[in-house]
Amino acid sequence: MSIDFKRAVDELQEYYILSVKGLLGIFRRPFYGKDFIEQMDYSGVGSLLIVCLVSLFIGMALSLQLAAELSVMGLKMYTGKVVGISIIREIGPVAAGLVFAGRVGAGMASELGLMILGHQVDSLRVFGVDPIKKLVTPRLLSSIVMLPALTIIGDAAALLGAYYIAVFVSNQSSYVYWTSIEHVLTFQNVFSGIAKPFVFGFIISSISCYMGLSTYGGAVGLRRSTTRAVVYSIVMIIIADFVLTRILLYALGFSV
Amino acid sequence: MIFLDDVTFGYGKRPVLQNATLKIAADERVAILGGSGEGKTTILKLVLRLIRPDSGRVSIDGTDITEMAEEELREIRRKFSIVFQEGALFDSLSVKENVAFCLREFSKMTEEQIDAKVRELLRVVGVEAAINLMPDELSGGMHRRVAIARSLAAFEPKMFLYDEATTGLDPVNAERICHLINELCKEGTGLIIVTHKVIDALRVAGRFLFLLNGRIVFDGNKDALLGSDNPAIVEFLNEFRYEVK
Repeated sequence: MSIDFKRAVDELQEYYILSVKGLLGIFRRPFYGKDFIEQMDYSGVGSLLIVCLVSLFIGMALSLQLAAELSVMGLKMYTGKVVGISIIREIGPVAAGLVFAGRVGAGMASELGLMILGHQVDSLRVFGVDPIKKLVTPRLLSSIVMLPALTIIGDAAALLGAYYIAVFVSNQSSYVYWTSIEHVLTFQNVFSGIAKPFVFGFIISSISCYMGLSTYGGAVGLRRSTTRAVVYSIVMIIIADFVLTRILLYALGFSV
Repeated sequence: MIFLDDVTFGYGKRPVLQNATLKIAADERVAILGGSGEGKTTILKLVLRLIRPDSGRVSIDGTDITEMAEEELREIRRKFSIVFQEGALFDSLSVKENVAFCLREFSKMTEEQIDAKVRELLRVVGVEAAINLMPDELSGGMHRRVAIARSLAAFEPKMFLYDEATTGLDPVNAERICHLINELCKEGTGLIIVTHKVIDALRVAGRFLFLLNGRIVFDGNKDALLGSDNPAIVEFLNEFRYEVK
């Protein structure tokens, strides 16, 4: 028990050091611009379709549920408003984060894990190249930049999906729906939804890089690190979402 | 040049190398022999301080590197050129980009100069035609050759380290790699080759170490190795005797 606890503390410390060094790498030379652009392409452009698809269907399902429930109370004209607030402040960032963790987090962990097992990271160290600067920093930065962008696009896809259900299935007015959405797009709501993905991007990439770089034990070890990267990222996103929601509601003056 | 003083290392609870004491001069040609999992590669990793020993000291040119920080180790590591098992080429880079990697990182050469240098190195190792291929398009022998070219690109090593350089290669390619290793190892430059192929070790080395259960149980020249009556070594050499026959 005490050995497990000590190992957990050691791992937490190593994760913390890797994250801080990775972040500080943004401000120190050399800058690996090409790697950063490659990572943005992989994590951002590569995730675009799946984020749009998932968000579209989440928006449609949410709209269906709300329209059905609000119809009973004679309030279905509020579908747009409730869907808008839910997607922009809460569901959009979390959905994009979860998709990002599954696709990009797993990819980062397995790629870095394979580089460890294939001695590619050792080669970098022998050549005098800092693996954290070369491998971790571009991944951290690209995730922090691309996840908010993906969230905005995912929000738009979700609102379109919700629009389709509200107007063409629930027979609501298109004008009322978009006016409701327009009213929901306040600074507080948008800021609340955009601030989260910056943190989620950091969480996913730092956890995935750490898990990848601590891979050992061949194919089984690679499976273990990839699984842990995705599972820990998802759990941490959910926890961070709650904490951030509490902080943002307080900071932006919402009363609970 | 290299001094391992009573070094012990293990992965978790599994001991890999136990109480190893070893001195290797800068111009020596040493082969480390032994079965899989006996700690051969661990010695190379300790020499480069890619891993930290659990106990004991590691010194290079009289400098104790056991507790050295990663930044300080860079200068020490540049004294060596290592070719890892399977080559360890960067998957996402072409052959040209792999060989040019260190030149781009550490030299102020122009693209034309880098291109010329890469072509020259690939010509030396005999795979110039593969310059635009990706690592997954190379055969095992080509992989090792490109890895050797890459390790030569940026620095003037005092010693070459080869981790299972010929493992997995057919006899013709293995002999070619050994020939290349001998050609590159000029006067005054040493080498350490880790291998379980005795015939290849005999082609390139003059001093032989044999590891058994994480301990160095033999340290001597070719004649002493071939005449050893240690049962483990005798059994190990049977493969070589069979090949010679």
